[in-house]
Amino acid sequence: MDLKVIDHATCTFCGCVCDDIQLHADDTRIHKAKGACVLGKAWFLNHTTERNCPAALIDGKEATVEEAIQVAADLLYEADMPLVYGMSNTTCEAQRECVAMADLLGGLLDSHTSL
Amino acid sequence: MQKSRFLPRGRKDRTMVLVDIRETKSVKAADIFLQVRPGKDFELLTILRAMIKDQPISDAEVAETGVSIEALQDLVARMKAAKFGAMFFGMGLSMTRGKHMNSAALLTLAAEMNAFTKFVAMPMRGHGNVTGADVIMRWQTGYPFGISFNRGYPRYNPGEFSTVDVLVRGDTDCVFVIGADPGATMPQPAIDHLARVPTIVLDPHVTHTSRLAKVHITTAPAGISAPGTAYRMDEIPLPLRPALKSSYPTDEEVTRRIKEAIQAKPDWMVEGPQRLETQV
Ligand code: SF4
Repeated sequence: MDLKVIDHATCTFCGCVCDDIQLHADDTRIHKAKGACVLGKAWFLNHTTERNCPAALIDGKEATVEEAIQVAADLLYEADMPLVYGMSNTTCEAQRECVAMADLLGGLLDSHTSL
Repeated sequence: MQKSRFLPRGRKDRTMVLVDIRETKSVKAADIFLQVRPGKDFELLTILRAMIKDQPISDAEVAETGVSIEALQDLVARMKAAKFGAMFFGMGLSMTRGKHMNSAALLTLAAEMNAFTKFVAMPMRGHGNVTGADVIMRWQTGYPFGISFNRGYPRYNPGEFSTVDVLVRGDTDCVFVIGADPGATMPQPAIDHLARVPTIVLDPHVTHTSRLAKVHITTAPAGISAPGTAYRMDEIPLPLRPALKSSYPTDEEVTRRIKEAIQAKPDWMVEGPQRLETQV
């Protein structure tokens, strides 16, 4: 088991995005999140590398990521007015892809801000 | 709290005023608490705008807000005497009667305060990287949210293109949800429409929305095991330093692959694409 310490880690649980957190982690989970508030601690410590969710679901049945991507692309393409929504708990890199996809689809694009 | 050259006593040199419709836990942290009557935010802000410019206001107008004139006079004096004022506002303002008009009144007040001293206003953000979403959409389209591309170029109209309205009216026929769980947070008519149309969800967990979705894809949680960038509430971009590895793909990868699969199909516009060939 490899123990590692990560300095200046960033927490994205809330909008404050604290970037002065020290994480102590092994291969499967984070043991300590120094400098994080209660919410941040819970968020860091609750995640493990275990695969406790299916890779993908189509109509509630397990599927491969590749199949799910194809079905998703077909559905979005066939729709007259697709909507791309959310983008809160994700990275800017993924958000950029979302904008490009909404543009490509000629659809709607919106985030949590409008809520 | 941070001590600085201009505020050597830290928290003691700062004044925090809390405005809410009820006494919340934050009252303990505040120096002054003003209890405004529900739905009277716009009135209160407009009275403050009048008061900073010494314009006449009637007692009846003040009484309507639930805050005393003395408290308001004291607040105005403090605001003008401050070296640097900041207003933070949340959903209590934007989600009640008046909606956008409330936020607009607050932003105008902040702008007008700059005739006297430095003042800024900043929305309080709930979830992780919503600020990043604003910034990225502004960068790519010129607008922060509530965008439609259905004419081949971006148009902005909150109320028409904002998600809750679109869902409640039933205007969309396919929804792609990423990094959010509208199935747990939106009003019931909106959730009903989400269940009616094919919905695609990307999330590290099987969420409420995934349960009513047609497609769910599990992705690596950002900041825990997916690298990237996130924006802080005050629009400072920060790199994520994931501590764990994940066997799930990242949001970025999955979205890009869906986009590429769509790109492989003929363009939806009959006269061909009008957009730029490459996105920067
Ligand atoms: S550590 Fe706490 S305050 Fe900081 S970003 Fe995480 S949840 Fe927010």
